[in-house]
Amino acid sequence: MVHTFSCLGQNFLLDVESGTLCRIDANMRKFIDSVNSPSGVIGSGEFSRLRKLYPEEADEVSELVNKGLLFTKASDFVPPKPDGTIKSMCLNICHNCNLACAYCFADEGKYSGQKASMTAETACRALDFLAEKSGTRRNLEVDFFGGEPLMNMSAVYAAVEHGRKLEKSHGKNFRFTITTNALGLNDEISDFLDKEMYNVVLSIDGRKNVHNQVRKTQGGKDSFDVVLQNALAFRRKRGDRQYYVRGTFTALNKDFAADALALADYGFDKLSLEPVVLPDSHPLALKDSDLPELFEQYESLAAEYLKRRKTPETWFSFFHFIVDLKHSPCLSKRYSSCGAGTEYVAVTPSGEIYPCHQFVGNAAYKMGNIESGEIDSALYEKFCANNLAYKPVCRDCWAKYHCSGGCAANAVNFNGNISSPYKTACALMQKRLECALAVYCLENEE
Amino acid sequence: MKHIKVIAEKTVECGNGTGCGECQASCQSACKTSCTVGNQSCERKIDRIRKEDNK
Repeated sequence: MVHTFSCLGQNFLLDVESGTLCRIDANMRKFIDSVNSPSGVIGSGEFSRLRKLYPEEADEVSELVNKGLLFTKASDFVPPKPDGTIKSMCLNICHNCNLACAYCFADEGKYSGQKASMTAETACRALDFLAEKSGTRRNLEVDFFGGEPLMNMSAVYAAVEHGRKLEKSHGKNFRFTITTNALGLNDEISDFLDKEMYNVVLSIDGRKNVHNQVRKTQGGKDSFDVVLQNALAFRRKRGDRQYYVRGTFTALNKDFAADALALADYGFDKLSLEPVVLPDSHPLALKDSDLPELFEQYESLAAEYLKRRKTPETWFSFFHFIVDLKHSPCLSKRYSSCGAGTEYVAVTPSGEIYPCHQFVGNAAYKMGNIESGEIDSALYEKFCANNLAYKPVCRDCWAKYHCSGGCAANAVNFNGNISSPYKTACALMQKRLECALAVYCLENEE
Repeated sequence: MKHIKVIAEKTVECGNGTGCGECQASCQSACKTSCTVGNQSCERKIDRIRKEDNK
């Protein structure tokens, strides 16, 4: 299968099965589009006929086909079945929040339940559970999440201290991360996060008026000024080490490229902006009818992105325009996606286990409890089978090895089962990926 | 070649080292919503390069 596309005024080609990426001219685009077929196999009769019209293009394509770079056949790869190992945990340290974001998937931190804080004892037990279930994996990830995790720092401190002990006793490397709204980010907490966290994700939505419209405090006040001040102080402390400023865009700011650029203008250089995921009935929901406008925004952001990355003073990275083709993940990873419900789980303040943070509160997806340490085998098997090999709609998608099948929780929320992807997200993923591949080509072309 | 320029070759590998699981779970990075693996890196490949750089 070959995917051709236009982006930033140029034509490109991705050979899906081999991952070969090319820039092509307009005639080559016409030729490839003429010989391309859904099965990815060129009919020899048709190829010969078109060779008369495009002799140079046909010769070049033949050469690359012979080198195994174009029209590569699908491999017969079968992903290994997960073996029960868990390596990654979202620790919902606090089911409470000091903000009341209008689009919050987590019911302002309560996840359709009661406000709750995880005890230090439960947090440490969760890390024990992870260490016990991690088999031979050395790198273990724990993301302190909420609600707002800074509202329960005593449990975060205890968990990190306990994790450092487990590293020595179990030969592990804990990569702690935290996702915070930065409202309570003072000097003391900043110092701790800077020292102990592998990555810190700070939530800001972009322009001041956009942020303040949707990210109010629990008392209904604007949060932008305090959040920006705290986040910038942390960013200065952090230097070149890993952090992200992460925003959400909604129907209120479909011109979200301006928000990404605003974040860069404030002085942040590692950015991510995510489309909100809400039912169509919600006033902030993004709909299929918004897609053309959102595609334009991604492309205009990509154009400015390329321009700004040419000088160190304005350089920034955008999470969805990053594509690592030099250290790209193995095929097994590309098939198994985020690992939700298999190697990645979320743990609630009471110690309940869910496939990931997006499933928390959905009783049908409760997988177990860290106290018993046992995982619901039927649910586990269900998530084991939730990979590219078993998703017909993904098998024929050109973006499959970069997307890996979409978010299982979104699939449940929109289509009622974990293996039917949420189509709006698919379309946005494909557009972002085209921009990412185009940026890669234009930055790496000699 | 005149009409096509190869920028990256064979970036989808089904060879050795698949499935060691030492890499980051995608939702633990920045997004927490959109499942993406294309922008994730292979821990082994990065380690190998780091070691070569230190030689």
